[in-house]
Amino acid sequence: MDTASSNSTVRLQAISRMVEDRPEENVFRVSRSIFVDPEVFDAELRYIFESTWNFIGLESQIARPNDFITTHIGRHPILLMRSAEGKIGAFLNTCRHRGTIVCPFKQGRQRFHVCRYHGWAFDSGGRNVSITEEANGQYPPFFALENHDLLPVARLESYRGFLFASLSPDVLSIGEYLGDARAFLDLVIDQSETGEVEFIPGGSTYTFDGNWKLQFENGLDYYHFASTHSSYADILRKRCEIAGPEAGFTTEPDGEQEGQGSFSFDHGHAVNWSIKRRQLYGRPLGIDADRLDALRRRVGDARAKWMLRQRNLTIFPNLQVIDISSAQVRTWRPLAPDRTELVSHCLAPVGESAAARTLRIRNYEEFFNASGLASSDDNVMYEFCQTGYEARSGGATQGYLRGAAAIGSTNSPHARELGINPREWSFGAPAFGGETNFYPGYREWRRLLQRAAQEVA
Amino acid sequence: MMIQQSTADAETHQIASVVLFREARLLDNGEWNDWVAMYQEDALYWLPAWLNEYETTRDPSTEASLVYHDKRRCLEERIARIESRKSITALPLPRTVHQISNLEASRTASDEIMCRSVFSVCVYDPRVGKEQVRHGRYEHTLRLTGDEWKIARKIITLANDKIATVLDFYSI
Repeated sequence: MDTASSNSTVRLQAISRMVEDRPEENVFRVSRSIFVDPEVFDAELRYIFESTWNFIGLESQIARPNDFITTHIGRHPILLMRSAEGKIGAFLNTCRHRGTIVCPFKQGRQRFHVCRYHGWAFDSGGRNVSITEEANGQYPPFFALENHDLLPVARLESYRGFLFASLSPDVLSIGEYLGDARAFLDLVIDQSETGEVEFIPGGSTYTFDGNWKLQFENGLDYYHFASTHSSYADILRKRCEIAGPEAGFTTEPDGEQEGQGSFSFDHGHAVNWSIKRRQLYGRPLGIDADRLDALRRRVGDARAKWMLRQRNLTIFPNLQVIDISSAQVRTWRPLAPDRTELVSHCLAPVGESAAARTLRIRNYEEFFNASGLASSDDNVMYEFCQTGYEARSGGATQGYLRGAAAIGSTNSPHARELGINPREWSFGAPAFGGETNFYPGYREWRRLLQRAAQEVA
Repeated sequence: MMIQQSTADAETHQIASVVLFREARLLDNGEWNDWVAMYQEDALYWLPAWLNEYETTRDPSTEASLVYHDKRRCLEERIARIESRKSITALPLPRTVHQISNLEASRTASDEIMCRSVFSVCVYDPRVGKEQVRHGRYEHTLRLTGDEWKIARKIITLANDKIATVLDFYSI
């Protein structure tokens, strides 16, 4: 072992210990440093985002031959395309010649992508189809034997139309990686009769000056709703007084105990959910009684009931799927320890009614847009946290202990209804707001950094 | 005839600039109630989203917008939210300066004026000492209601649509 790699090992091990996890003592602590330290941030990009599965888009975003979108995995620009033959591929969006971005557009349909710099051309299958003036290039003989195609990602797999890619080949199959968290993607996907989901045109991108893990935690955090979003809740309560059937209100079946709970899965994923007799908002599934009956017959009463419950699903490390008054898919891209880019899409089941679609869009805009009434509060709150984390001598925060005294590992009646076996679960009063569902993400975070520490050794 | 026409154009332009500049001033001064009273009850207030580098969303019933309100009540909800002092986005409120230019106005009916203009809004957040500029185009439709010109429709095309942290009615 040379000195440099031994230093790296020691540093990565030290970083991984910034998450302190001692379940036998109910201790779970997260150092403020992981939100502010540039060295931690670099390690996260390299050994987490660029070493495991990332959600990169929906198959339906590139439904037709030659469709493409561009995105990122960690720092890497990615070009996701469907070839002329219909095959989906994900490539590093960088020319093999001099590294230029090959496709500078957000989305579109193109048979060929021509690098603007020297004119090397690639088809929608990523194949190099032209090297400008190759014959006059006086290249050494081995050049012609080299591959000049766009570089594919190491792994690309789909789970029912959700596309995941990894820059590292050293990952499980996507099915194994998602595990029982799949049941919660299914609860969204199966709202469509044909089992297809799509992004509604008009996704948006916004930024906040805070660490990406603030978004990761917030999506799992019901505790903040009553305080952070109290002004939005006031608006919803007022609207409840005048709401008609077009607002899509639904009720829980009689006999269901109200409360809030969560499931923690392996590999970093978790979901939190709530059971309320009546929510403060309606939802697209609720506006048409006949269609709702048809859904119950198709998916069964238990799953239909879960489709009408608020569910916040986190797929580590970069995806959240929120299904409440509307459905949102959000992904984040860490830009700096204190800066994050969010891409937000309104997710919809293919085949819903026009009225349901419009309600979904209105509810989405006001809840999830940075120009709306709820996520905007979150964004500012992240910046308040980021500023507060600079009090580095303050030690670990106390934000990971709600629910720590009553973590369940077997016999969740709620899990049984869904036929899943979460690693851990929690359930409490409607205002419980448990925090133990943050653990799986941080445990996976730590596992990946410890794995990296061993590999560099 | 020519003189009459240009007098009418000047009057239309004059009406439009009075309304638009007043709206900008009321927003910058935080005089929300007077601001929202400039809108008809069924006013359309719309910020389309961008579909790609060149086109914005066109059909709010099948596409998502950054903001889409088809009633003044929705704007009043936003005002109530800010005034409740419960939304962290407004604690403290950013300071804004709206600038409007390149105004073109045309009389499309005896009681209707269409206006096109460009805007830049400088937004300063005293909480963090950061500033940003939002810029784009406005389209206003004004309608004569009684003896008052009201805003019947306002479409805001935001050029720099990667929103930093938060965007609300006062900062656009």
